[in-house]
Amino acid sequence: MVDWRLFEPLFNYARKKSMWIVAFCTGCGGIEMPPLMTSRYDLERFGMMPNPAPRMADLFLITGYVTPKTLKRIIITYEMQPDPKYVMAHGSCPLNGGPYWDSYNAIKHLDKYIPVDVVIAGCMPRPEAVMDGINKMMEMIENGTADGWKRYKENYEWYKKNQDELFGEGWREREARRWLPWLMDKKKE
Amino acid sequence: MADGQEEGVKTMREETIIQKILEKAPYAEGKVRRERRIEFKIPAERIRDFLMLLKEKDFESMMQITVVDWPNDGEYELVYQMWSYTHAVHAFVKTRIPRDLDKARMPTVRDIYPVAETYERDAHDFFGVYFEGNDKMEMPWILDDTEQGLFPYRKDFDWIGYVKKKYKILDRFDEDKDNYVI
Repeated sequence: MVDWRLFEPLFNYARKKSMWIVAFCTGCGGIEMPPLMTSRYDLERFGMMPNPAPRMADLFLITGYVTPKTLKRIIITYEMQPDPKYVMAHGSCPLNGGPYWDSYNAIKHLDKYIPVDVVIAGCMPRPEAVMDGINKMMEMIENGTADGWKRYKENYEWYKKNQDELFGEGWREREARRWLPWLMDKKKE
Repeated sequence: MADGQEEGVKTMREETIIQKILEKAPYAEGKVRRERRIEFKIPAERIRDFLMLLKEKDFESMMQITVVDWPNDGEYELVYQMWSYTHAVHAFVKTRIPRDLDKARMPTVRDIYPVAETYERDAHDFFGVYFEGNDKMEMPWILDDTEQGLFPYRKDFDWIGYVKKKYKILDRFDEDKDNYVI
């Protein structure tokens, strides 16, 4: 049995330099990603790239407001990701609702449902602000304070309680079964 | 606004379009709102005949079906927005139906304009207008199961109360205050 703790700094350096993003854009922040990816603020020089598969991703960018319907998908996608996984909330809506503070259909505190490591304020945050958040995230990975995935495991009962309060018990099965009758469209036009 | 004579010259084309349509549809009343924008008011049960007529008269596409809620009159106003590529004219077709949920029924226009399916499902989800003949009315559209049947865009929906109940926030919020910190 090898004790890997000696190599932890090396692993952290490697994780910091190769954050792959889940290509899952909620709300309006998706429009802020193309400037980040293109030549002016080139994300690729940090080793970040968008990846369509959650199984290969480390960083989950929540871009913009989150509705309850989207939150179900977000939770399922977040639980698909392998450890270690980091969450970056983008804009004021995941923080406290932002302009949708009184909307019947937007989540007010994303922190109650999944753990968030870095929050960027603004509506919308400019690419410079997002770059600042990415820098912060790298620092946190290097000194080991980005521990959202550990918190999710330790406090899973609390997160699950909040999720069940919003969606009702057994929402995963219900959501999966809900569309089945409609997927088989008998009347082809 | 220009003076009446210039307006008349500008909207000559629109008036001829209205004339042609009203010859075939005596139940409707039409008027020119401004250049390239006309408006029709029709009774609700004649909507299918009227839209078939519009399609013959080169109104090729439907842009949207919007619902306007008038709680004081007890009525919904349905606005069918049509666009004609041939004449470059935007036509509003307005009709009024009662606001009560069991009486808010309309015949569907899905077979005339196929795109209407989406807009009808939208109106059903948010306002409770039932379109008879559209077989996708019961299919879930945007709202979740918990919000089905609440019709959140109606004016008498208790918005803030629902938010307080659902998210358990805003307990110190008072609507009468001008300045507050939550």
